[in-house]
Amino acid sequence: MSEALLELLPSVLLEGLLLGCVYAMIALGYTMVYGVLGLINFAHSEVFMVGAVAGVEVYRYLGPHVDNPYLLALAALVVAAFISGGLAMAMERLAYRPLRKRGSTNRLVPLITAIGVSFFLQDFVRLIEGLWHGEFYMNYPADAHLEAMHDLPLGMSIQNKSIFVIAVTVAMMFALDHLVRRTRLGKAIRAVAQDLPTASLMGIDPDKIIARTFLIGGALGGIAGVMFGLLYSQINPFVGFVPGIKAFTAAVLGGIGNIYGAMLGGLVLGTIETLGGTYLFFLTDGALGNEYKDILAFIILVLLLLFRPQGLLGKTQGEKV
Amino acid sequence: MTSRRPIVLLGIAAVAASAALLAWPRATWALIAVLGVLFGCLSVRDYKPARFVIALALLLVVIPTAGTHNTFLFELVTTMGIFAAMSLGLNIVVGMAGLLDLGYAAFFAIGAYTWAIFGSGQASEFMSGSFPLPGWPYFYIFSALAVITGALTGTLIGLPALRLRGDYLAVVTLGLGEVVRVTANNLDHPINITNGPQGITPIQRPPVGWLLKPLEWLGLDSSPALAYSIFFYVLVLAVIGVVVLVNVRLDRSRFGRAWVAIREDEIAARAMGISLTHTKLQAFATGAAFSGVMGAIFAAKQLFVSPETFTLLQSITILAMVILGGMGSIRGALVGAMAVALLNLEVLKSFSDFLVHLRQTGFVLNLGIVSYNFANLSDQIEPAKYERMIFGLILVLMMIFRPSGLIPESRHRLELGERKKARDAAKGGSHGAA
Amino acid sequence: MALLEIQNLTKRFGGLVAVNDVSFSVEPGQIFSLIGPNGAGKTTLFNTLTGMYRPDSGRVLFRDKRLSGLAPERIARRGVARTFQNIRLFGAMTVYENLLVGQHPHIRYNYFDAILHTRRLTHAEERAEARAHELLDYMGLADRASDLARNLPYGAQRRLEIARALALRPKLLLLDEPAAGMNPQETDELKVLIRRLRDEREITLLLIEHHMRVVMEISDRIVVLDYGKKIAEGTPAEVRNIPAVIEAYLGKGALEKQP
Repeated sequence: MSEALLELLPSVLLEGLLLGCVYAMIALGYTMVYGVLGLINFAHSEVFMVGAVAGVEVYRYLGPHVDNPYLLALAALVVAAFISGGLAMAMERLAYRPLRKRGSTNRLVPLITAIGVSFFLQDFVRLIEGLWHGEFYMNYPADAHLEAMHDLPLGMSIQNKSIFVIAVTVAMMFALDHLVRRTRLGKAIRAVAQDLPTASLMGIDPDKIIARTFLIGGALGGIAGVMFGLLYSQINPFVGFVPGIKAFTAAVLGGIGNIYGAMLGGLVLGTIETLGGTYLFFLTDGALGNEYKDILAFIILVLLLLFRPQGLLGKTQGEKV
Repeated sequence: MTSRRPIVLLGIAAVAASAALLAWPRATWALIAVLGVLFGCLSVRDYKPARFVIALALLLVVIPTAGTHNTFLFELVTTMGIFAAMSLGLNIVVGMAGLLDLGYAAFFAIGAYTWAIFGSGQASEFMSGSFPLPGWPYFYIFSALAVITGALTGTLIGLPALRLRGDYLAVVTLGLGEVVRVTANNLDHPINITNGPQGITPIQRPPVGWLLKPLEWLGLDSSPALAYSIFFYVLVLAVIGVVVLVNVRLDRSRFGRAWVAIREDEIAARAMGISLTHTKLQAFATGAAFSGVMGAIFAAKQLFVSPETFTLLQSITILAMVILGGMGSIRGALVGAMAVALLNLEVLKSFSDFLVHLRQTGFVLNLGIVSYNFANLSDQIEPAKYERMIFGLILVLMMIFRPSGLIPESRHRLELGERKKARDAAKGGSHGAA
Repeated sequence: MALLEIQNLTKRFGGLVAVNDVSFSVEPGQIFSLIGPNGAGKTTLFNTLTGMYRPDSGRVLFRDKRLSGLAPERIARRGVARTFQNIRLFGAMTVYENLLVGQHPHIRYNYFDAILHTRRLTHAEERAEARAHELLDYMGLADRASDLARNLPYGAQRRLEIARALALRPKLLLLDEPAAGMNPQETDELKVLIRRLRDEREITLLLIEHHMRVVMEISDRIVVLDYGKKIAEGTPAEVRNIPAVIEAYLGKGALEKQP
């Protein structure tokens, strides 16, 4: 039996990699916002979800008019990026900024607000979709070309859509790396993340930078949403919750606040989860199966926070008295 | 000389509200009036005996009598009571100690499942012995036990979780709540402990045969249904009484002060000799204990538990009660619970009916640029199921506009007599207060 | 026997040595001041003393028992209280309650006492309330007793912080810049208060202070820190004329410019 398990390994790894791409994209949103504000944006999981839904709508309306599946997918990505990015910016402007300006040190307030926004969005999207289309369980339509498989060595096979997803992820990561290291905006974001008061004394407008950070993080989340839809096809307004927690775990795993950490953490977590989900069943003789794979990510989170909160690439910080 | 006006007004209001509720037992506004008077009993100063009598009369005479004409009233108020106890529990954790627990429903679930498993045939799936355990006396034993198991679970979960900072604690408790639900959902193999998604039913209740005679004697419908409604109503009331009492006492003790201290400033609290670990664990365990005991009672009342009852939505609902009512305020937690329960059970339902009515009459909403024909309204739209949206909105709006809640916490002010009493005590030393 | 002994205390943050091999002792009943330019490591020293940071090397002895390495709450219970540079009151609590909280380690009853409202609780609470009233009068906060701490004016907040520290019944009181933001009248009152604390309540005081007049006028002994190192120790008269001290404050070459 262990031979069969080993045979499975390459395809499981590939699957994990794909899942990891989605997690990495979402994790970037969490980590960037945490970097500049020190706040976990609970509502980011819904930003992801809105991106997925936006993508479905693009398919619904543009689908009949566009033949090229890749063009269609790109259109979905772009629209989702805009809408999710805009949503994230709106959240910051309407919900987080007023609280920030109030200046209270109470940490509960922004957290609770974020949770409220998250919950609100879930049902709000459900309402809109319900009113508009009468249903809120939606599917990304399957396209023959995207579903087409190629055979790879080691018994693996990969679909065109998976190649597409990986390509998009790689492109985004390069783009983000370029942005962060070589553009003025990137430098400003890093400055604000490191020391907001000093950065603003240096002439950087923290409000503007924070807004742009939310925009970028949100856009990436939206792209992740479309990727999720392409890969797993079924989406609904509640699809953001679980991947959101896992992506947050990935961000912590890589080192919260660290962009490269989020990328790494996402890929690692996706792999571990897929491996765990597949092999747990065999290892426990069918006692514990795939259902428990969600708990796996959660256990990793708790262990991380207890024993290595700085994750793989982060540094420990203390509080100044 | 303390003014007599408030208590007189309260008395008049009590009579008026009672009359209203008795005349129109189905009217929500009458119920709200009675609840308002009850709240007044909690808020007015002095005249303790009078307030007590009014409250008791409303709770034990007026409401039950109205309830015999409208059994839904019992259901409503009992549910409010269960919510209220949980709200008070979470109020200690979130409101007073400032620990954001997003998985509170987990403790409720554990309390409920504990009785559900042993109070039904479920336990015989994995244990030898005669199950279900009969309602008498085991329901009461398990309810008491639920307090202890709640506190224990709270401590166990708290030990690792409470070391974490606010945001991380929130995420971890969120995950924990989900873990409990997923476990309950999947623990039907390899050994069947929770019976998975099908849930456990029927669950034993304590016998109420002893109530039937008095009901008959009062000229009421002596059916088990009514008897059970009344029984659970009074039981929940009794438990809430205890919960409120415990809350008030803890609040005014060094424990309550320690909780607020660590919420306000952990570093300063430590510099005052307060142990963060102990204090946080105490808060967590207390909150969990309240939730656990209500879980057991809930299981017996509903006769059925399933993992779907204990979702994140539940936890957030209770959180909304605490936030709406007032963080750290006992009266606030009660008000929040009543408001949210009413919202859930009454307002949303009415709104739903209203929308259905609009659909049936083909009402067209014309706003100039946009018009919507309600006949097209899909039958999937049911406001009763839109709690997420409502609670999310409540949380956000409260945080932006009134973070201290409808009833902000009131901290220990010096009463008029206290100064003199304390001075005498200081001078008299071991003589004690005058 | 010295009340507080600091032996070769060192605290690093990454590459920065905030406290560098500092040693000195504080005798019971002394008013001891810690001075030095900004960033010299004074508050870090306080934080290490009170357990917020662990020293990298060296140790601290309080009444001959080891203090270094203990958690802040245990240090507080041993009788070491402090105030903070940026006032850290319990804002949502009243003045009166802040004084009750300060007595936390001295109020002895357990959880069940609280729930059952036993005699032990009522006695302990009464004693605590009496003490709180006494402190209210002593620090002149009696007419603000029911105000929320966060609504107090600045001077009252500072006094409350000291009062709260006193509620702990400390043997050693660490004051971090108590005179900051005070006008001349308030600083005079502060000096009187510090002396009263020492004389009437037998408290030893260790201050961080920038206000030179206050330091020179009330201290029994002074230690000067600069860049984490102790550069001088002695009585006010001795310390004020040490060249290194003058240079630390006014910069090199300041001496040459003196008439």
